[in-house]
Amino acid sequence: MASQAAGAGTRAGWRRSTGVAYEERWTAPDVRRRLQLALAGVWLLDAVLQFQAFMFSKGFSQMLGGTAAGNPAVIADPINWSAKIIAEHGTATNAIFAFIQLAIGLGIAWRPTLKLALGASIAWALGVWWFGEGLGGVLSGAGGPANGAPGAVIIYALLAVLLWPGRRDRAAPFAAGQFTGPNMARALWLVLWGSLACLALLPATRAPKALGGMVSAMASGQPGWLSSTDNNLGAFLTSHGPAVAVVLAIVLALVAVSVCLSRPAARAGVVLAIVIAAFLWVTEGLGGMLTGGGTDPNSGPLLALLAVAYWPLASALPATAQHDLVATAQPVSPEGA
Amino acid sequence: MAGPSWLAWIFASVMIATSGYCLIRLAASWRRHRPTDHHVDATHVLMGVAMAGMLVPRLRVFWTGGWEVVFAVGAAWFGWLAIREFRGQPTMGGRPGHHLQHVLACGAMLYMFLAVATVAKGAAGGSAMGGMAAGGAHFPTLALVLAAALIGYTVWTADRLSSLAPVAALAARSAPVPVLAGAVAGGGAGLADAGGQGAGSTPHGDGQAPAAPGRQVPLSPRLAACCEIAMGVTMGYMLILML
Repeated sequence: MASQAAGAGTRAGWRRSTGVAYEERWTAPDVRRRLQLALAGVWLLDAVLQFQAFMFSKGFSQMLGGTAAGNPAVIADPINWSAKIIAEHGTATNAIFAFIQLAIGLGIAWRPTLKLALGASIAWALGVWWFGEGLGGVLSGAGGPANGAPGAVIIYALLAVLLWPGRRDRAAPFAAGQFTGPNMARALWLVLWGSLACLALLPATRAPKALGGMVSAMASGQPGWLSSTDNNLGAFLTSHGPAVAVVLAIVLALVAVSVCLSRPAARAGVVLAIVIAAFLWVTEGLGGMLTGGGTDPNSGPLLALLAVAYWPLASALPATAQHDLVATAQPVSPEGA
Repeated sequence: MAGPSWLAWIFASVMIATSGYCLIRLAASWRRHRPTDHHVDATHVLMGVAMAGMLVPRLRVFWTGGWEVVFAVGAAWFGWLAIREFRGQPTMGGRPGHHLQHVLACGAMLYMFLAVATVAKGAAGGSAMGGMAAGGAHFPTLALVLAAALIGYTVWTADRLSSLAPVAALAARSAPVPVLAGAVAGGGAGLADAGGQGAGSTPHGDGQAPAAPGRQVPLSPRLAACCEIAMGVTMGYMLILML
């Protein structure tokens, strides 16, 4: 590449654009790095969604305040307090939120700031989970898998932990287990999908017409194809809601335990998890992004990304001592992350 | 409902700055014979100006329909380069997949201008982004897909950013061009000329002519990548505003 650049540069005239890549030691991203980049992309999407006009209006603060309902006072009071501040200073606060998310996304994508950005994303996600999502409706009983419970933003934090580029990676059969170790990673998967299974059995999901009403409500303001999909699905769930909730709970439970089973079963579990994530994303109305009022893509894409991180690889990832990810003049490891 | 006007001004300012910088790159490349990707820089100049005009109507230049032609041609041009790259034919440089990125960007610009023109017909007298955001664009799903794809390329570019060589390193690698002792005696003929030496240049005692300062050093690849990142984020913002 450098010799091509030198050779091209000797040709006469400025019209010859070399366009040669002046890259040195760029290590192609491995599985974990690609997952980190996908996470960065979701954060960037989150940031540009936060720049929407609705987020600068009173409606945003009212939406945040609404998450306090049903929560214990120790949880609800800070939510109401923060919603009041946002209502009074909507422009400044929302701009700060958006630029923080933009910085997190770009920070994860740019290798030198990866760890800093992942750490910041965990802290930010935990704060938003409390003040912005009311802990995902877990304590209020209003949450269910179909409306984003236990909160999309907590999955950001979970992904950041699982994809952390530690100095010493553990041997693991999937990318999500490199930092925490496969056993801890499996435990986290079990907790997440197991909790989704439990939430599916709560009245917010299992009560007659609850699931159908939830999905039909998502159709408002959507493009035609999504609106008709949600309306039809909502109509079906209205008459079969309780049975579907039980089936959903069983499927979620199967997904939860699949990572503890053999490789073929684990792969089947991951595929099932991705299918469930796609189904939930549709019930969530794609996070409301197409209505102009969605703050984030909601849990569907994040659950799918998480599932990919647990895909059992053909050959287990070895334990390694990793250099920093930055491609500098110093030699770097073959892996990108 | 359009976004805050101050936010539009911020993004427009960034786009104007990016456009101005790319124009400077083109001028510097021409005057100092320093390599750069001229097609990309020229496209960035046009995109920056176009996006600034969409964000802040008083910055709009060009006649109605003009930008659509520009970006349709741009998409076709980069599409042709991408096809040549796929077939293994020479494509005037650029890293693999780079042309596809610009096909996407030009396509997104074309979509935005067509969408604005369609909505503006029904919202007479509205500003570009305001009327578009108020009425919503046709095919909002396409806007979301384009935004997601552009964000993906932005992330990919940011990942490669730290591996791009700084100009100082590229300059250090610009080796002096070796010349034949006899050929240089007449005043810089032969390889000395090929190395960009002017007539009458004095070779070193070891038979090597000094490299023309900056002659073969490319313009900053890192700043070029930063321009792409800034444009990707801004374009994503504009597409989301159309939902």
